[in-house]
Amino acid sequence: MTLDQIQQTLAQIATSGDPTFSQFASDINQVVEQAKAGQMSPQDTAEILRDAQRQLAILDDMTQLQFKETLNTCITGLIMIAGAV
Amino acid sequence: MKQIVFLLVPLLSSCAVYDAVTMTGFDPNEYRIITEIRVDAAYYKDGCANPLIAQTNAVAMARKTELYQVYSEQIPNNTDSFKAATSLNEIAQGLAKRYDSPPVPALFCKLKYNSIESSARVIQHVIGNRPR
Repeated sequence: MTLDQIQQTLAQIATSGDPTFSQFASDINQVVEQAKAGQMSPQDTAEILRDAQRQLAILDDMTQLQFKETLNTCITGLIMIAGAV
Repeated sequence: MKQIVFLLVPLLSSCAVYDAVTMTGFDPNEYRIITEIRVDAAYYKDGCANPLIAQTNAVAMARKTELYQVYSEQIPNNTDSFKAATSLNEIAQGLAKRYDSPPVPALFCKLKYNSIESSARVIQHVIGNRPR
């Protein structure tokens, strides 16, 4: 993929309306633009983009945890209902 | 209603449900540390233009995210939270380490704090919803 293609893909995600990833993709595109304008070194840009990957990993871990929390609430509710009948 | 209990029995054998039932509950200390990280990141962002303050803040932030990671590590059934704490700490350590080779662009510093703040917000939201 060329840089233009990558930026086009990011722009598509940015305008997709997804509540989580639209802003995320827009931020990454801004970082790329700033790097192209010479406001950041390639090393610093790479570090910021690695941070974006770390943020995605955090989002993934937290989605897993949220799923378990929801499931826990449901099971606790079912146990209470079963106990009451 | 007994049917529901009978339905639960086979379900409990699946890993996801077992994890959900045995998951760790709300920990006020863990919640407090992640809240402090979020608030500090929002304030430290403003000091990015001043190299002396920025370095002190970056070291303080790296210490706090390390505290958060180490605190999360030994809590039983806390794998997802510990993994997130590790990633968050990596972001903050990268900022502190960058000050070993100055000058550090204010933009780099601000983007780092943006990452820390938004990640801390995501973690705080989920940790705050843990069963009490």
